[in-house]
Amino acid sequence: MTAPNSLITATVDHLVRFAPFNKMEPVHLAWMAERLKLGYFAKGETVISPETGLVETFFIIKQGVIHGEQDVVRAQEDSAWLELHEGECFPLGALLSKRPVNSIYKAGVDTFCYELSVQDFHELLRKCQAFHDFCTHRLANLLEQSKQVIQAQYTHSSSEQQSMTSPLSAIIRREPVSCAPDTPMRQVLETMNDLGIGSMVAVDAQKRPLGIFTLHDVLKRVVLPGLDLNTPFSQVMSPDPVALPPHALAYEAALVMAKHGFRHVLVEEGGRLVGLVSEKDLFTLQRVGLRQLSSVIRKAQDLETLKHSARDIRQLAHNMLAQGVTAEQLTQIITTLNDLLTTRVLELEVAASPEIHGVEFCWMALGSEGRMEQTLNTDQDNGIIFRIPEGKRAEDMRALMLPFAKRVNLALAECGFPLCTGDVMASNPKWCLSLAEWKDIFDKWIYHGAPVDLLHSTIFFDFRPLFGEERLAEDLRDWLSIQAPKNSRFLHQLAVNALRNKPPLGIVRDFVTSDGHTIDLKVNGITPFVDAARIYSLAHGVGATNTLQRLREAGEKMGMEEQDIDAYCDAFLYIQLLRLRLHHEQGESGQKMTNKVDPDTLNDLDSRILRESFRQARKLQTKLSVNYQA
Amino acid sequence: MDWLRKLFPAPPELTPDQARRLAAWQALPEPPMQQAMEESRYVVVDVETSGLNIHKDRLIAIGAVAVTGGRIDLGDSLEMVLQQAAVTGKDNILIHGICGTAQREGVPPAEALLNFLEYLGKSPLVAFHARFDESMIKRALKQVLGLRFSHTWTDLAYISPALYPELALRNRSLDHWMTHFGLSNYARHSALADALSTAELMLCLANRMDARAIRNMRDMRALEHTRRQLGMAH
Repeated sequence: MTAPNSLITATVDHLVRFAPFNKMEPVHLAWMAERLKLGYFAKGETVISPETGLVETFFIIKQGVIHGEQDVVRAQEDSAWLELHEGECFPLGALLSKRPVNSIYKAGVDTFCYELSVQDFHELLRKCQAFHDFCTHRLANLLEQSKQVIQAQYTHSSSEQQSMTSPLSAIIRREPVSCAPDTPMRQVLETMNDLGIGSMVAVDAQKRPLGIFTLHDVLKRVVLPGLDLNTPFSQVMSPDPVALPPHALAYEAALVMAKHGFRHVLVEEGGRLVGLVSEKDLFTLQRVGLRQLSSVIRKAQDLETLKHSARDIRQLAHNMLAQGVTAEQLTQIITTLNDLLTTRVLELEVAASPEIHGVEFCWMALGSEGRMEQTLNTDQDNGIIFRIPEGKRAEDMRALMLPFAKRVNLALAECGFPLCTGDVMASNPKWCLSLAEWKDIFDKWIYHGAPVDLLHSTIFFDFRPLFGEERLAEDLRDWLSIQAPKNSRFLHQLAVNALRNKPPLGIVRDFVTSDGHTIDLKVNGITPFVDAARIYSLAHGVGATNTLQRLREAGEKMGMEEQDIDAYCDAFLYIQLLRLRLHHEQGESGQKMTNKVDPDTLNDLDSRILRESFRQARKLQTKLSVNYQA
Repeated sequence: MDWLRKLFPAPPELTPDQARRLAAWQALPEPPMQQAMEESRYVVVDVETSGLNIHKDRLIAIGAVAVTGGRIDLGDSLEMVLQQAAVTGKDNILIHGICGTAQREGVPPAEALLNFLEYLGKSPLVAFHARFDESMIKRALKQVLGLRFSHTWTDLAYISPALYPELALRNRSLDHWMTHFGLSNYARHSALADALSTAELMLCLANRMDARAIRNMRDMRALEHTRRQLGMAH
């Protein structure tokens, strides 16, 4: 064959619609197309199975659907269920590791597959970097493409190139002006005035930052106290300034500003000052300022102000979502701001409740709030731990706390956190307990709980102190970290419950399990990861409540492959992102926020990643069932 | 005597090299008719012509793709436009999309047909409405190479309804069968694209062939023959 004929050209044209072929050099694609055979598999026909032996063929679906079914007899951890569509290829794992497949691949409908011999497959891996990258990091590779698509859409709609995901190194414009700590204030103020800068940093001989002074400090620290202008800088500056590395992202700087109420964050590399990021620098990146918002929350004197702030938090989240901020970043931001807001609501209510002054208690976040995984549509789950002073009974303390708790719950509801339908709230006498009572309850669940009792108690294991005496919640966590790993029956029952909830087999009409041709992203997508992470963290005494942190910490203790952990985390984050985007769209069009998505509304890339994410969920579940004989 | 010369045209002039290539092709052994499909190479072919009259119209393009061991071999395919002395009319061009320039710049007929023969070897030919393709190719080979082309052909226009009698009444054209099996076509009425669709149709028929114990070219020809004898138009 000389010049490619129309058949080869048409095959290439077809394949470039799909990853990884869209990233491959035309010459590599043509090379491959000329070596492809086209095979046909009638519905139900087996394409390849463990019995086939060493895999000889790389398949790309031309049209139709292929199902990968787990071989029950030789169930293995990586042989979860999957559903493959036009443009997708298989079996990558078996080809790369030169072994037979673990699943039975069958045609779900009449299907045509392009076939490439194993020799040509390996030749292509050597020739073509894009193909190689895809085959070795499939999920990460797809996600990267999806991110590019979202960011491309964003930059398309705005000339602003920078976003909250830019590294700080891209934002800092010039070397920060610095001085020695003993410089007199007069000289500092003159320099600031001459250069028209808003801040000055003191550094030592090694250029290590010692402290910062900004224009905002002039009034309070210089003018009003009538400061002697010969005073050295070191006596006026704010010492120990917060610094981030240059590769930290803009949103992280924004978070630091929001958390601590700073207007400036230093950028430090190897201990040396290399830059300064101000709120103003970040302000151009966002319409609603994070720190500004947090400062309003911190200073709010009434519920009305906080209600506005709650709306601003949602607006901010929408804006950032549109900028292509990742799910991990966005849930962190939402969590940080919601924590601030809840804390402020509590502070105001405490101030208005003299009867509880002096009571040692801790307000705990439970469920998704406890895991720091709140989306735009989260109702409240909370509880109280209190200490019983000498001579008092738990009942007395509860009677004291409940009216206060009720007011907090109602105030939070007004701020847009709906009351928990299951009544898992601090105002419920069942969840306003002393430390000993909490231990009793947990003890009962761990040692005597039937699976059905456990079903509704799992969110309690995600508790996290939010306000008050954090020590109380930490005591409970320490105690739990010792108790839970000891009881295998408990872990087994948790696993049984977790495995009741199967991720969808696929997203083709026939296989959708939920009603009305929709998939519930929370129940079917997020929950399997959350449940597995919780069980593993309880089993291995990991105190973290965040699903990603749990997976990483427990996974390491268990000796899970790092790339497997990464894949679980990526899959979880992707589904979380889809959820956030769904809520965003529902919010924009004034619909009620739900977690149900119609798979037909997803584009090719998203639907493919979603299926891959469900596959990861099933893989994690398979692992769970092996580990706990569930 | 003009009509006589028309009936028995003088053998065309071939260069020595062309004559040698033709002889080499003729000397190739025929594959046995009972060779199992899984071991055989079939060539699925489709032609584009200046019209539907097998006696008058000219062969413009040949598209062919091999089915080897039950797999369509994309690399083992052929697509060729034959150089035309006179470009066909607009209506005709609109059907196959081979424009005047492409027709004038095609491969000289003798070269094109030798290429076709060398690509084909002695593999059996498969087509949909094979009589038409066969007649057009046969006449061109006779006129250009002086070759009496007597090859093994089978016709899916008869095989398909024989295997799917329940669909026979509703499915007569290649388009019908393509719709039934959900086959796409990257450029309908382009010879190679139609050859590919015909080859895909052949693969779709494999299960019913298995069930009817049709395992080789001889069985297929027998099935086709029965269907023709039944007088049941496809």
